[in-house]
Amino acid sequence: MMKKKLAALGLALMLTVSLAACGGGSSAPASSAAPAAPAASEPAGGGEVKGLEGPIAESPILLTSVGQSADVEMVKVMMDKGGLSPETNSLATEADLGDSKTLVLAIGGSSKGLGAAGIDANQELDRVNKLIAAADEKGLTIIALHIGGEARRGDLSDKFVAPSFEKADYAIVVADGNKDGLMSDLASKAGIPMDEVATMADVVEPLKAAFK
Amino acid sequence: MNKQIITASVCLLAALSVAGITGKNFMEVKKPDELRPGPGVTQTKMLSDYFPDIAGTNADSTVYVMEGEQPGGKMLVLGGTHANEPSGYLAAITFVESGKVEQGTVFVIPRTCNSGFTHNDPQEGSPQYYTIQTKGGPRQFRYGSRAANPLDQWPDPDVYVHAASGQRLSGSETRNINRTYPGRPDGTLTEKASYAVRQLIDTEGVNLTFDLHEASPEYPVINATVAHETAMSIASNGMFELQMAGIAMSLEPSPTNLHGLTHRELGDYTDTLPLLMETANASQGRLRGKTNADLVLTGKDKCYVKAQKLGFLYVPYDETGHPIEERVGRHLQGIYEYSKAYSAQYPESPIVYNGLPSYQELFLDADPSELGGTQLGKYLN
Ligand SMILES: [Zn+2]
Repeated sequence: MMKKKLAALGLALMLTVSLAACGGGSSAPASSAAPAAPAASEPAGGGEVKGLEGPIAESPILLTSVGQSADVEMVKVMMDKGGLSPETNSLATEADLGDSKTLVLAIGGSSKGLGAAGIDANQELDRVNKLIAAADEKGLTIIALHIGGEARRGDLSDKFVAPSFEKADYAIVVADGNKDGLMSDLASKAGIPMDEVATMADVVEPLKAAFK
Repeated sequence: MNKQIITASVCLLAALSVAGITGKNFMEVKKPDELRPGPGVTQTKMLSDYFPDIAGTNADSTVYVMEGEQPGGKMLVLGGTHANEPSGYLAAITFVESGKVEQGTVFVIPRTCNSGFTHNDPQEGSPQYYTIQTKGGPRQFRYGSRAANPLDQWPDPDVYVHAASGQRLSGSETRNINRTYPGRPDGTLTEKASYAVRQLIDTEGVNLTFDLHEASPEYPVINATVAHETAMSIASNGMFELQMAGIAMSLEPSPTNLHGLTHRELGDYTDTLPLLMETANASQGRLRGKTNADLVLTGKDKCYVKAQKLGFLYVPYDETGHPIEERVGRHLQGIYEYSKAYSAQYPESPIVYNGLPSYQELFLDADPSELGGTQLGKYLN
């Protein structure tokens, strides 16, 4: 009798445990790529990169996105507040360069943004590479801005960083996005001045200072 | 008396009392939390006033109307789209209990998916309630589910087809109100609920709509605002002010190919400018440790601290967690800056209100020992 009761109790317990153990998971998260590299490393080429010493750029300005994040909208607001009023086209191509003297690149990938534009990362890279090459050919001043910090690093955004720096004449980056020194390295490789600022709100001043 | 009869009676009584207690609890969670509207609320309506079909169902929900003395624009705040995302729910409640509109009219729906508040997600170990000390004493608030209650809408199809676009999602998303916009008058209960929200927007001529959410810290779109293209200009101007105020947030465009969400469909199907905001909520995350009311309110979790060190997260995470004051503060400051940007762009229909704490007051200036509910409670009646 006792044995049976114990066995029944044991079985009941096992049932409870097995129920509890099948775990949640009604809405598993999109466990995509881990963001941002660990923060530890020293900005590698950091020492060699200098800030901008005098104004280099002129209006008219064409502002475009590199990666279709809404950071391009933020840059537009900043430039408007700084009295720089750029022509903004987040999908600009060579044909849109017109008589622009400066091309401003707002770097940052966004899968939502690429989705909104109906293109993929490779199509975006292709557009940007052609646009930058054309601007460089025509002698425009190219300014690369990475304002999104850590939120605009990681697999998708990182694709867009190097191509933007390659032919740039100047770069401004928010420090959080350059913890691993990626952008300092790229600026030093490209031999261009770069200013690192603490927050997005601090981008306006050096950006204004870059214009004659 | 026979020994077996005694044993049987004891067992029967035990079973009945278990059934009684759990049954009572089961029925109680259906009762909506008691809200205590402040003097800013000028009228209380129901969603069914805009779409009578949902009257008497769990999809119906209270709409608080806050009309200013001067005419102006119309704004809608959707809290509790997902009942397991407390900062959106509590930000809406704070608005209703402490806000005072001067110009224009603000509509607040704290429980947009009312049915989602009547149950929990099974096997998540979520708390049923969390308690906040308020001016009027301790108050309980429901922690519900991301989706409507299957008792209200059942069964789920294997594949949920979004009616307006044909988009196919997993069957359970059929009960996720933020996949059913713009809704259907003859659809599922959840589609009817989102249809009612759309009717409200059309009937009242709502200019600006906020949908308040939270996400798990490992979800890429977090501490973010998602804007429909029509709202992008307001969003970028408001975001600039948020950045100046030291609130790190990212701005995301609403994807055109992701359907059923407020920031897409309300922009496409109505004249309102929709914005959606996300804060970080550990209690709905996958990597969380012990799940209880404390985690909901403080966000303190050693598993997330570790996950942050391993680079798995999209938000900073340390021992101080992400208290409810920080999360509600982000939503309230966001609404403030975006509505200000709206008023600047549409000066003919401004929306002006006061009485709500800023991010600074609610979070940054708070005594750290009062974070996790007590500080927020000062703005609840
Ligand atoms: Zn949500």
